[in-house]
Amino acid sequence: MIKNYLIIALRNFWRNKLFTFINIIGLSIGISAAIVIYLIVNYDFTFDKFHKDGDRIYRVVSNFTYQSEIGYNSGVCGPLAGAIKNQVPGVEITVPFFGIYGPDVIIPEKEKVSEKYKKQDGVILAGPDYFKLFKYEWVIGSPKTALTEPNNVVLTTDQAKRYFPSLQYHEMIGKVIIYDTLKVTLTGLIKPFKQKSDLTFHDFISLSTATNGSNKALFSYVNLTSWDHTNSVSQLFIKLLPDVSPKLVEKQLKQILLKNNPPTPDRKGSSHSFVLQPLNDLHFNERFGIFDFTANSSVASKTTLFGLLVIAIFLLLLACINFINLTTAQASKRAKEIGVRKTMGSSRWQLIIQFLTETFLLTLIAVLISIVITPNLLKLFSNFISSGIKFNLPHQPNIVLFLVLLTLLVTFIAGFYPAIILSASKSVTVLKNQSLSNNRKTRSTILRKTLTVAQFIIALFFLMGTILVAKQIHYVLNKDLGFKKDAIVTISTPWKNNNQAKRQVLLNKLYSLPQIQLISVGEDPPLTGGERFTEVSYLDGKKEIKSNLLLKYGDKNYLKVFQIKLLAGRDLLSSDTLQQMIINDTYAKIIGCRYAQDAIGKYIDMDGKKSEVIGVTADFHEHSAHSIIKPLALLSIGIDKNNSEFHLALKPQSADGHEWKTAIAGMRNAWKEVYPDNDFDYEFFDEAIARQYYREQNTSTLLTWATSLSILISCLGLLGLTIYTTNQRTKEIGVRKVLGASVTQLVTLLSKELSLLILLAFVITTPFAWIAMNKWMQSFADRTAISWWIFALSGGGMFIIALITSGFQTVKAAIANPVKSLRSE
Amino acid sequence: MLSLKNISKYYQIGGNKSFVLNNVSLEVEEGEFVSIMGPSGSGKSTLLNIIGMLDEPSEGYHYFAGNAVHQLKEKQRAALYKQYVGFVFQAYHLIDELTVYENIETPLIYQNYSGSDRKAIVADMLDRFQIVGKKDLFPAQLSGGQQQLVGIARALITKPKLILADEPTGNLNSKQGIEIMELFAKLNKEDKVTIIQVTHSEKNAGYGSRIINLLDGKIDSSIKL
Repeated sequence: MIKNYLIIALRNFWRNKLFTFINIIGLSIGISAAIVIYLIVNYDFTFDKFHKDGDRIYRVVSNFTYQSEIGYNSGVCGPLAGAIKNQVPGVEITVPFFGIYGPDVIIPEKEKVSEKYKKQDGVILAGPDYFKLFKYEWVIGSPKTALTEPNNVVLTTDQAKRYFPSLQYHEMIGKVIIYDTLKVTLTGLIKPFKQKSDLTFHDFISLSTATNGSNKALFSYVNLTSWDHTNSVSQLFIKLLPDVSPKLVEKQLKQILLKNNPPTPDRKGSSHSFVLQPLNDLHFNERFGIFDFTANSSVASKTTLFGLLVIAIFLLLLACINFINLTTAQASKRAKEIGVRKTMGSSRWQLIIQFLTETFLLTLIAVLISIVITPNLLKLFSNFISSGIKFNLPHQPNIVLFLVLLTLLVTFIAGFYPAIILSASKSVTVLKNQSLSNNRKTRSTILRKTLTVAQFIIALFFLMGTILVAKQIHYVLNKDLGFKKDAIVTISTPWKNNNQAKRQVLLNKLYSLPQIQLISVGEDPPLTGGERFTEVSYLDGKKEIKSNLLLKYGDKNYLKVFQIKLLAGRDLLSSDTLQQMIINDTYAKIIGCRYAQDAIGKYIDMDGKKSEVIGVTADFHEHSAHSIIKPLALLSIGIDKNNSEFHLALKPQSADGHEWKTAIAGMRNAWKEVYPDNDFDYEFFDEAIARQYYREQNTSTLLTWATSLSILISCLGLLGLTIYTTNQRTKEIGVRKVLGASVTQLVTLLSKELSLLILLAFVITTPFAWIAMNKWMQSFADRTAISWWIFALSGGGMFIIALITSGFQTVKAAIANPVKSLRSE
Repeated sequence: MLSLKNISKYYQIGGNKSFVLNNVSLEVEEGEFVSIMGPSGSGKSTLLNIIGMLDEPSEGYHYFAGNAVHQLKEKQRAALYKQYVGFVFQAYHLIDELTVYENIETPLIYQNYSGSDRKAIVADMLDRFQIVGKKDLFPAQLSGGQQQLVGIARALITKPKLILADEPTGNLNSKQGIEIMELFAKLNKEDKVTIIQVTHSEKNAGYGSRIINLLDGKIDSSIKL
């Protein structure tokens, strides 16, 4: 029986090549999108799921409240771990560990020059407890003993092979490895986790190396005494006993904090608390990040993932709608076959199964096509999705299962309704040729219109969203930020092995390059970079005005390089110190100066010292458009400051545009002469600003794709429907033509219904789109208007696209010779 | 074989009943060859469809092979139909997407015959109708007479006790028509198949054993030949 069904299915596909083609294309797009999105979502949701009792493992993190602003830190203060061990009974294991920022690793060798591995990430200080909490497979050594003694290190096998490429594992044990200056001995080797994990550390130095106090620098690094300092490298994981509530533990931690670090009057308005972050939240929480001392560990956004899921569902839905529309439209074509089969003894269920078999076959073809497409899609989106996402069916049984379920689901959604409709036709009416006359306004016609409107709604929604996101990105990237951002290159001088003389040499060499106009030495540029706040106060008569002031550091060229406008007072001079400051207009207003000029000469109390306001700048955007302009001060900093940043204003390029390339090459040479051990790194300021909006750019890319695909699928469906309806109305068109209708009148007649459908979809979509747009815009303090033309453009665009899609068929039908269409009847 | 008692079929149009069949009673014995005649709109096809259980009467009692059809559920009726009845249509109604072989085979599929059984039965039938050479052709590649031959072969494939034919020669030329009618007469005589046909032609009606004349939904006359 199945064979018979398959044969007739294939012959039907062949007979209706266009419909089959449209259905397969639509389904392939929908299914490919579903596969890619499944891969992404599945990837991000399966991090660190394999740990034993993972639901009882938490990371302790810190929240700071300061004048109603909350700060988040993924670390805790050093003494907390010890306090938890002794004073919190509900905790089974307490695991503190400390990340080390990019140490250079040296493998000393007797005969040859020592091998050096620069800026390694994934190096931590950890104790044996770490391996009690997270179970690794040990190749050599034991979790109990390998890290108990100071100056020992455990490596993952991958990392060990990098350091000692020519040695067998057992030969590596006992070898010496130097991290910057710290000499340690290899005592154990572990296998890295096979499953996905954010715990990507591969060098574990025994924690006792730092805590026993013999190494002063490390001892102060892990800070076992001060409750006042919180560093994000200082990580603390705990495992609770079964049935212990994390809320209770948080309360106990609060008590410990109050006891050891009681609030003082000068800390009024600020508070500090500890929060238990569940292990499964680690991969998703943007506030805390994963570990800021390891590379490539960016958090995944659940919102983005859910957005992706919605897109996948919509695209699949669109494809299913096409299928339903086209299949029910063809129902009368197949009515005869159905009637005949019924008179030959087929039951309705057998017919339903037959039609579902057809749908299944079509879906299966689409799935097979998708399997071929998917790896290419992954390549296409490679800078957008994580490199860990792979598509390799034989090794991913869960994806095979997903595909099987997807095939069945799509078959059911797309096929069930048409199967019911098709199988319902009565054999008697069919055999009397009644259904072929097609004069009925059936339920399925109404359903088809509803579904077509639904398709337009989805496509319109995406289209409106895309235009808005693009408009906002264009707005934030092109608005006047209050400073110049083009033709400025920033380079950071290194942390280590650096001094003022070297920086001065570099500065002089850079100035000798003809393409460079001006250089400012300082810290972060006006926008981007880290942020440093300090609490200041200003005495206005009797009234004390306290503010949280954002600090920027620069020299006498800072305002000139970035072309920030000075409203009053003077620029910084080389002779200025921290006792002179330039403030922005916002802060001048806060301290009660109506005019910028009034602020000059006022004194601000900062860290117990008086600082004179010598100038006021116009406001400029020191944050991304997500937040408002805050009070800010520019302080003088000289070339004597370590790790300073150079901001280089380049001269404008000439038409052929080689100057900047030459300038960069010149900078590289200068750098290599001064810092031969360090890699030269530079960044154009405007690119750094654009990168702040990478999330919005990603959203934009994603939406553009979703829009194009949904419009494509909808238009294919529309094309199919138009072909069908114009065929249906051939006779009517013929009669009208004989009666004297012009081509224009006929095209209008045929397009009227379509226009009404689009209008309806537009009316339904607009309010929803408007609400969604407003919601999205909430995250911006500085936002573009949701203009009326976004909606007009989308609606108009959709209308034109739809008209073009259906127009060809419509015109063809209208200009056909009526003699032909009427003769056969 | 079957009996109809006071069968009516009507449609409600406005406040009036428009009768297609009005109080028709009819008995058909096994082995009969009945021809139903009458002008267009007299209710011939409706009567045939009701006999074949493709259509339901509005009123009346219908017995078929000892079963009270008017009391049966849809499913039981379908089972009865499957077991006893074969249909032949004026417009042949072959499935365009299936070959001659597959068209003839289809009823067997719905009767759950195994693959090898189907093969044997269909091969016999092709042989008997001498259309073995055409078994892989599609309906569109055959002449009208040949298509009707396939239609009859398909109707006979499940060895029905009753064949219902709705103007089987209506679309054929006279020579093809004679061949088909002779085939019916032969089936009736040699295989004892009961046949009820609707026809316009006196000549075709002459092949049967009884002629029933319908007029305005009522039996006008019933003549045994």
